[in-house]
Amino acid sequence: MSAAFSLYQSRDSGLHRLNPLTKMTIALSGVATSLIVSGVWGNYLLFLLILVPLSAWGQITYSFLRAVFRVVWPFAISIFLIQGLFWTDGTPVIDLGPLSFKAEGLLFAVISVGRILLLVGSFTLMTMSTRPDALMIALNQRGLPHTLSYVVLSAIQIVPMFQAKANKIVEAQQSRGLETSGNLLKRVRALLPLVEPLLLGSILDIEERAIALEARGFGRRVKPTSLLILKDPVWEKILRWAIVALVLALLAVRIWLW
Amino acid sequence: MENIRKDFTTITWVMIPVAIAVNVVIGQLVVLLKLPVYLDSIGTVLVGLLAGPWAGALTGILSNLVWSITGLFPQAWAWIPVAAVIGIMAGLFGRRFKQLGWWLIGGLLTGIIAALLSAPISAAVFGGVTGTGQDFLVGFFRATGASILEATFGQGIVSDPLDKTITFLIVYLVVRALPARFLDRFPRSENVV
Repeated sequence: MSAAFSLYQSRDSGLHRLNPLTKMTIALSGVATSLIVSGVWGNYLLFLLILVPLSAWGQITYSFLRAVFRVVWPFAISIFLIQGLFWTDGTPVIDLGPLSFKAEGLLFAVISVGRILLLVGSFTLMTMSTRPDALMIALNQRGLPHTLSYVVLSAIQIVPMFQAKANKIVEAQQSRGLETSGNLLKRVRALLPLVEPLLLGSILDIEERAIALEARGFGRRVKPTSLLILKDPVWEKILRWAIVALVLALLAVRIWLW
Repeated sequence: MENIRKDFTTITWVMIPVAIAVNVVIGQLVVLLKLPVYLDSIGTVLVGLLAGPWAGALTGILSNLVWSITGLFPQAWAWIPVAAVIGIMAGLFGRRFKQLGWWLIGGLLTGIIAALLSAPISAAVFGGVTGTGQDFLVGFFRATGASILEATFGQGIVSDPLDKTITFLIVYLVVRALPARFLDRFPRSENVV
């Protein structure tokens, strides 16, 4: 899996050794919490007090923060500009000539960005500290059909191959005089000569892959064994249920306060 | 149930990861060409057409999961329902594939439904923006007094129908270029041969 394309960062840390299901529980409860928490700063606090320390435990704080900000940044800019400037009937707080930032829009932007931060952060933490194959095997052990993990894992492995193929096609067509920059019309014209060979080549690949899989017994209905052995100590099981209970309690409080 | 099982042959299971990779790589190629469309569901439409709506839906779901897991586009999982519906629509309109006009109308309708479904997700979860260059459209609609949901839908309805119609057209051209002997191996080959 080393050449596969994923955010996974290999470290020898406690976070990495956690069972993938535990990390998935953390990620999904982070997603749920980000949608439940209604205060202005709650999501920022959860990000700082839970996700950042967890990333430090996993020795990936720097790359974790960089990956999260790379995603959140464009959202933050868009939300602050659009909802801040164009909030209908808002109270102006900062005047910029014909336009002005509205208090309600800025408040909405702060809340939304906090939500996106926790949402993206909790998912990124899981993907950076969990090998994709370990995650799929853990899910297989809980009854997910192995065909589904085949699909996800082989897609992750095929993508870099196709990227290389796409680069080759772009270079080949450019050497034949295809223009890939310039005005919109030129770029639209370049689309089909690039997309068609890539698509045809990859579709024709399918038949060979199918034969190779059949020859290896893919269609057999037996339970395959795995080379990778995952640990799942009792305390992690308890931890998972505790997290789920906490999120449910949060949801109950939220509904009760409504 | 039996019908669904008939769609999921080995060749379908092999086609799905290839289709996911096609979604990813062509989506990136389009970004490279700086075209005002996404074209990140060509693989999903292809599977819907050749292996039926449920295989198409599964391709859409797993495609967004792969976008998320790989960190290329970590927020993609939020749009999983939209991706699934695109695969279902391609599967339903597959029967009309041979009449190009109907097939393209299928693409147009898919785009409209995609815009309708993704607007509430963007508005509720992502502050009504996409974090891309398309947001100038959201800003334009907000400036004219549209609500957050209306402005997001406005952005979607301008870009999605065009995007999905082009996607369906590319799939048409590519499938037409494949030999019938090859197409015959797919569970829904009667759609295209």
